Amino acid sequence: MIENFLAGSAALFGDPFTIGIFVFGVVGGMLFGAIPGVSMLTLAAILLPFTAGLEPAQGVMLFAVIYCTGTYGGAITAILFNIPGSAENAPTAFDGYPMTQKGQSGKAVGAAVLCSAIGGIASALVMMAATEPLANWAIRNIGPPEIFALVFFGLVVASSVGARTIWKGWISVLIGLLIATIGQDPVGGINRYNFGMTDLAAGIAFIPAILGFFAVSEIFVQAEKKASGKYQAPKVSMAFPSFIELWMHKIAVLRSILVGFFCGILPGIGATLAAFMSYGEAVRWSKNREEFGKGKLEGVISAETANNAATGAAMIPLLALGLPGGALTAMMVAVFQMHDLQPGPLVFMLSPDLIWIVFAAMFYANLSILIIGVLETKTILNLLKIPFQFLAPLILMLATTGAYIGRGLVLDVMVMFLAGIIGYLLRRSGFSIPAIVLGLILGKIGEQNFAQGMQMVHYDLGTYFSRPICAILIAAGVITLASNMYRAFTSTKTSG
Amino acid sequence: MGRLTLSNLIEAAIFFLIVGIFYGFSFEFNQPIEIYIFGATAWPRVVIFLLLLATLGNLWFHYRHGNAKQATLGQTDDKADFSEVGTVRRMVAVLLTPFVFAYLLKPVGIYFSAPFFIASIIWLFGERRWTAILIMTLSIYCVFIGLFLIILNAPLPQGNVSPFYDFSAWVLKLNAKLQGI
Repeated sequence: MIENFLAGSAALFGDPFTIGIFVFGVVGGMLFGAIPGVSMLTLAAILLPFTAGLEPAQGVMLFAVIYCTGTYGGAITAILFNIPGSAENAPTAFDGYPMTQKGQSGKAVGAAVLCSAIGGIASALVMMAATEPLANWAIRNIGPPEIFALVFFGLVVASSVGARTIWKGWISVLIGLLIATIGQDPVGGINRYNFGMTDLAAGIAFIPAILGFFAVSEIFVQAEKKASGKYQAPKVSMAFPSFIELWMHKIAVLRSILVGFFCGILPGIGATLAAFMSYGEAVRWSKNREEFGKGKLEGVISAETANNAATGAAMIPLLALGLPGGALTAMMVAVFQMHDLQPGPLVFMLSPDLIWIVFAAMFYANLSILIIGVLETKTILNLLKIPFQFLAPLILMLATTGAYIGRGLVLDVMVMFLAGIIGYLLRRSGFSIPAIVLGLILGKIGEQNFAQGMQMVHYDLGTYFSRPICAILIAAGVITLASNMYRAFTSTKTSG
Repeated sequence: MGRLTLSNLIEAAIFFLIVGIFYGFSFEFNQPIEIYIFGATAWPRVVIFLLLLATLGNLWFHYRHGNAKQATLGQTDDKADFSEVGTVRRMVAVLLTPFVFAYLLKPVGIYFSAPFFIASIIWLFGERRWTAILIMTLSIYCVFIGLFLIILNAPLPQGNVSPFYDFSAWVLKLNAKLQGI
């Protein structure tokens, strides 16, 4: 492994053009992740056609680097503006934004830098050592019933996050699931709920919906505060967390790496569920649960470690099985196909150089988060000094472009603004936006895997419980649901 | 009526309406799939049924406990304040302006409509100094053009109605000339 890694590093740093692409990926991913309104997916969508002119290794490496640094970059906007760069940064905002409001933005961003790097580096190391055996294990043990069970578990966790009551949490999840049913059904390809619009046959695209629910709705919330005179500019702080503060959370970091890696390795699940589950586990194991959501450092640490730990793991199903784990890894499949390659077991035999350049690049990209992240954080924190009336139109323009570029449809811009209005109204009524988005993302995956699983077990639901991993995940989901319900009902207070 | 308020009832009515609409439209694609006995309607109808249950649960909760809170994760205490007519009026304008902008993207294009959109958002956010609005509108427009047109050459809506389409074509031609494409 070490020889391969050194060979990959030599190939990466031996060619000035490849170094240039690596640096562009690192800086571009961080920048697009950190600019409110656009995300790493926007950059990836714009760059996709240009990768045809690159070597296959350079193209795949560029996307892998953007994936690592963009996942970190999204945490900055989540912490500073309550606008997650992408869905996997949503749980970061739960405690990150309250920390900013309390004048602890530097501490939150500093923790995100360090924990993203730790999670990413740990994941990259495991990815290098274990891609092949883990892929073999996954092929034997993880099938559609297990993925469906994990989706169920993830939705249960999401229902307890961010809403005023457990009922509103579930309504939020179900609204997301309902939106996900728009478009062709994943088994028979039958058009559902397209209301006569051909553009809706492909369903609601994730990027406009996510931009609308998070970025646009936040702009509307701030507009309302400005209009009612309740707007408070966020407080800028440059104080980073101390080593002792971070050391106190070592167990949370370790747990989040494991959760992130486990979720990341499963095809179609990716970093979003990893971040939600890690946040949920942090709360479950904490003695001071009531402090979460009010600016607790552990909340930021758990979410950011897990989502970056999932990036390396997400490469395993992509490279070993040819199954993308999310939108960006799906674009990587397109890069492979542009060069007449197909990701899967054969790539390890036919293009080992490509694999090890990508592995080495991901390792160094995560290391760069630590170095560049610390250096650029103080510059980025100055974004908070820009008056919001000037930041808002910039965010809306970037979001409009980000929504349009993916498919070139004005309908997507409409969807984004509609999602923004719905998101704003639901947020002000105590519903949970992250739960809606997780429902939207996991809806199609859940339905597809449920259908495949039922076909596989000849429609005998009992078989689901005879598969150990599936049974454990369903049991964990049911226990979590029961404990959430119990906790919610025993703590109901202050009638209004 | 228990502790139910008018807003609780409106909220429930909206979700019942969503349930009704989605259930009604599910008959449009209610056809069998040869390889899957549950067909295309099973999953959406289960979701609709669960949404109906959750809405009833929510209504029951408001009936028993009013607008009480439960221990969920990451919730905020932030609440909307629409006590003044001016706030409501301005919020309606803020919510509608992006829609008008999105609607105009197809006929007018982004290159022409963007400055007007940027300026109106700055104004709606409370800025009243015309010089500040003008300078910031131009600065944001330049950042936008610089990033997406000059650096990334991203394809953006150009409009399909003259003279707006001609304006977009002129901007693109100017960019091509500057970059020597």
